[in-house]
Amino acid sequence: MNEKILLTTSVGSFGKPEYLQKARNLHARGKLSTDELRELERKATTEWIRIQEEIGLDILVDGEMYRGDMVAYFADLLDGYKEGGLVRSYGNRYYHKPIIAGKVSRPKPMTVEWFQYAQSLTDRPVKGMLTGPYTMLDWSFNEAYPTRRDAALALAEVVRQEAEDLQAAGARYIQIDEPAIHARPEEIGIAIEAMAIVTRNLKAKTVSHICYGDFAAIYPAVLELPVDQLDLAMVNYDYRWLDLFDAHPFTKELAIGIVDVHTHELETVAEAAAGIRKGLRYVSAERLYPHPDCGLKTRSVEETIAKCKVVVEATKVVREELRAKVPA
Amino acid sequence: MKTTVVGAFPKISDDPGGQELRRALHRSDRGEIDAAALDAVFEAVTRGAIEEIEGAGIDVVNDGEIRWDDLFAPLARAWTGVSRGATTTTPLDRFYDSNTYFRQPVIEGAIRTNGQTLVRDYRFARSIAKRALKAAICGPLTFATHARDRHYPTLEERTLAVADAIAEEIRGLGAAGATLVDVEDPAVVALPQHIELAREAYGRLAAAGVPIALQTSFFPADRVLSALASFPVAQVGLDVRSRETTALGRLDAFRGKTVVLGIVDARNTRLESVSEVARLVEEALKLVPADRLWVAPTTGLEYLPHDVALKKLAVLVEGARAATGAGAPVRVAP
Repeated sequence: MNEKILLTTSVGSFGKPEYLQKARNLHARGKLSTDELRELERKATTEWIRIQEEIGLDILVDGEMYRGDMVAYFADLLDGYKEGGLVRSYGNRYYHKPIIAGKVSRPKPMTVEWFQYAQSLTDRPVKGMLTGPYTMLDWSFNEAYPTRRDAALALAEVVRQEAEDLQAAGARYIQIDEPAIHARPEEIGIAIEAMAIVTRNLKAKTVSHICYGDFAAIYPAVLELPVDQLDLAMVNYDYRWLDLFDAHPFTKELAIGIVDVHTHELETVAEAAAGIRKGLRYVSAERLYPHPDCGLKTRSVEETIAKCKVVVEATKVVREELRAKVPA
Repeated sequence: MKTTVVGAFPKISDDPGGQELRRALHRSDRGEIDAAALDAVFEAVTRGAIEEIEGAGIDVVNDGEIRWDDLFAPLARAWTGVSRGATTTTPLDRFYDSNTYFRQPVIEGAIRTNGQTLVRDYRFARSIAKRALKAAICGPLTFATHARDRHYPTLEERTLAVADAIAEEIRGLGAAGATLVDVEDPAVVALPQHIELAREAYGRLAAAGVPIALQTSFFPADRVLSALASFPVAQVGLDVRSRETTALGRLDAFRGKTVVLGIVDARNTRLESVSEVARLVEEALKLVPADRLWVAPTTGLEYLPHDVALKKLAVLVEGARAATGAGAPVRVAP
């Protein structure tokens, strides 16, 4: 069996089980110790590693049970940041948008222990998961650096330190997410320059997840982003980004979103398989990684499992088709 | 010269007592309170927003758009032919580079409205406001370029159909007593290639016979500035603070129009000094007479935490006073 094609994965975050949500609320109100919370975060991480193995995903994630938000988590651990007040993200959801108040630096590793813990639970590769410097900048208030480029490059330095520590700890895949990369398309050069700092010493496979926004506005410039793999939301956009690859061939590995993360409705295996086939028109099976569109933290545990199962089942269908085409 | 606000005001604050709306919406979602109880909270929070904006010393206020989930929501909920993405997929997308998300309106048929969508809220705000009050609505190009369209064959047809519906709402607001309507339309500066389509759309809006202010934001207006100067609108709003722009030196293009200048950055917590604000006002006054210059935050203050939003309004008012009150060079434009 050739399992080296169409390796399945996920973008990074999973829904938090109810006991962990409750524990996080109690901890926020000072009614649960940090040690007790960490114990429950480890328990949930263990559960998610088991679940991913059972579902049959190939490249695993730790599920980010210890994070609330992909920028605030790092901002809390970096010097130079302070917590900002509440800002609405959509509907009735609010978050503490962090403030870059001084020169940023990393007092100690931020994700390495979680990576080591998750990797110790499985033989399958677990991805190291970081937020990219441009997104860290764009999703923070910048009070400290004179320009956005200055801030992005300073953040790149701390992300680089973390990425190299993950590699030293054994990470074979390091994902540096840049969902904000197209926030200001004219700044794509800054995002590329910053990512080059992060990945320059990495031998691990590097991945960057991009979602929402106008991907067309940064294509094909984004092909210069110094990572091996781009990880793109596709279902939410009716796969229209693939049309861009007709004019300018896609040159990287592609992690392709084949189930939407924003709907409760479950895609059929046939629909998801059709998504993989669309991707195969542009990227070979060795370089195509089926997965959900985006992080699944807004979905329930049950919905998350169901969506990931569809990814794996759809991949099996298409692998079978490919095998049938190639005589053994 | 007048001070004003543009767009949405923070709906909640970090104070323990400042989160009624957030709680009420959660309780409403869980079916614990009825529509009337939720409505009462919306009214109380709207009243609070108007009072805070007026308390900061702003001359021309709006209602803070407290009921709006996003710029499109009130229209997408009310208009015939448009839904708010409640169908198979619920399209959620990021609003420009704001890290704020909106539900994409889905156009499923010919757009129709009775023009009364915003009237009730305007009347309520009218009953609260002690200062001059303006109404607000989403702009046609911004609506048309953020919607999913299953009905109109082209962007042109979509934009003009949306413009006709917006014009109907503006007529309704005018009949309810509104004397100025902000049309919030960042797409006009985001998509300079569609400036002539935008001009045609604003012609439809102008036909409603109510003075309108075309409020741009998020992007520099440099590429469309001369075109905007001949749009059929009473006011044009420009951000001259948050990004590099040549607009500040070209304001003399707006002969006969009022310029609404965004001079405190509504998307960064870094607080401007009074002298920074005053300097921008003084620069503008070299090219625009004081009776045609209004100053404002660069966009809606909802992108900031509530306490910072209030500080931004305070420095806006102080900076404006410093520039005009203390012998600043006030000249009539050539």
